[in-house]
Amino acid sequence: MKSKKLKLKRKVIIAAMIAIILIVVALLAEVIAPNDPYATNATMIRKAPSAEYLFGTDNLGRCVFSRVLYGARTTISSTVFLVAISFFIGTLIGMICGYYGGIVDEVLMRVADLTLAFPQMVVAIAVAGLLDGGLGGAMIALGITMWTSFARLARSHTLTVKQMPFITASRLAGKSGAYIIIRHILPNILEPVLISALTQIGTTMIGISGLSFLGLGVVAPKAEWGSMISEARAYIQIAPWAVLYPAAATIITIVVFNYLGDAVLEYRDNA
Amino acid sequence: MDNREDILSGLQISKKYNANTREVEALSDVSFSLKKGEILGIVGESGSGKSTLLKIISGIEKPDKGDLLYKGESYKGAGIVKTGKFLQMIFQDAYGSFDPRMTMRKSLMEISGATEKEILEITGKTGLNKELLDKKPSRLSGGQCQRMSIARALLSHADILLCDEITSALDVSTQAQVVKLLEELKKKNDLSIIFVSHDLALVSTLCDRIMVLKNGVCVEEGETSKIISNPKDAYTKLLLSSVITVN
Repeated sequence: MKSKKLKLKRKVIIAAMIAIILIVVALLAEVIAPNDPYATNATMIRKAPSAEYLFGTDNLGRCVFSRVLYGARTTISSTVFLVAISFFIGTLIGMICGYYGGIVDEVLMRVADLTLAFPQMVVAIAVAGLLDGGLGGAMIALGITMWTSFARLARSHTLTVKQMPFITASRLAGKSGAYIIIRHILPNILEPVLISALTQIGTTMIGISGLSFLGLGVVAPKAEWGSMISEARAYIQIAPWAVLYPAAATIITIVVFNYLGDAVLEYRDNA
Repeated sequence: MDNREDILSGLQISKKYNANTREVEALSDVSFSLKKGEILGIVGESGSGKSTLLKIISGIEKPDKGDLLYKGESYKGAGIVKTGKFLQMIFQDAYGSFDPRMTMRKSLMEISGATEKEILEITGKTGLNKELLDKKPSRLSGGQCQRMSIARALLSHADILLCDEITSALDVSTQAQVVKLLEELKKKNDLSIIFVSHDLALVSTLCDRIMVLKNGVCVEEGETSKIISNPKDAYTKLLLSSVITVN
């Protein structure tokens, strides 16, 4: 039992370390990148990977390695920001619905049911199209459906915690609903909702990259993995590296964050 | 004849619940009174309506019918925040009555107006070491946790304590300590206590009066000595005979 727990702990630490490395790389993109990711070079169009251009160049002679590094910053930061905002809004709504119940709960949960009735990507494409694309538009489009999973999870945990005698004791002590939600409910439901947020990072990254791939997310020439794949797929047969590296970066990052989420979940379940 | 004033009374309280398709009558025309400095024991088997009655008295739930009076004034529907000014509850689940993520000091500080000096004084009165205040509930024993619950109730300066099966999760020696503490506090602070339990033997040693509930109906009520020596209702006789058999 103890050795299993130790193994799981090791798994969490390894996954967290890789995730931290990815985040640090994204943050230090400017320092690490050997070339300007936006500088075009007519003499270096679609060059294969070399010592000067580690991942080769794209159709405009831009350094793919530098663009992948800069793309990491765009993709990871926008994903983490979107998950954080959805987590905040969804958890707050879920706690209010779970604690107060009544008509507010009925209305908000039916809205959540309604948004969940459609596939997330279909709604996101429709909304991003209405908002004329852009990274902000893509984030809003994904965020519209994303908060619901946090709200549902937070609500169900709030309903459980609300039944605990310490909540009744706090109410008898004269504490307001807002106080009880912030001081008692939130700390006691935070762990499962945070783990859920961690597992959402991979899905959100697919969403943002997917919308950029479809031309509804990041606008050129800004470096972003989805838009890089979209641009380079036209000449994939002559310069496959221009698609391969941003695609590999996307897959690795998604796998790492999903692995981290699963590892934390497994560790918690066996704690 | 006891001339003490009624501090709390309930008049013909009824409560129904909807369980799936059928209606369950949890309480039917239950009336009671509690005098200042008195301990009223409420006994009955599971499902007799004891806990429902406590929930209604404390304001957690509203009765369908009937009225609740505190010092002669109705407080029916006042809500739990208002009832907290004159009554406090001590729960069966001592650990669950404290936030597992808070230290005992922080939990006690939730009582409005509670000062560090007062907390130290009251925890001392309840026989607790002040070092326990910096611990979380999981680091305390069941008895210590229950004493902390009593300390919290005293901090609020409530006139009435509602004790919901507070000894059922404790071992026999800890049960005796908690009961002794309640008796002492009742004498010192002139507290009025409603003590809900299914343990008739315990209730008969602690309480001044007993009310026996069966299927949401009060089948017998009176002074402890009279109920024990001369029970009128068949159900009370049955409860008493089971105690005697065990003893």
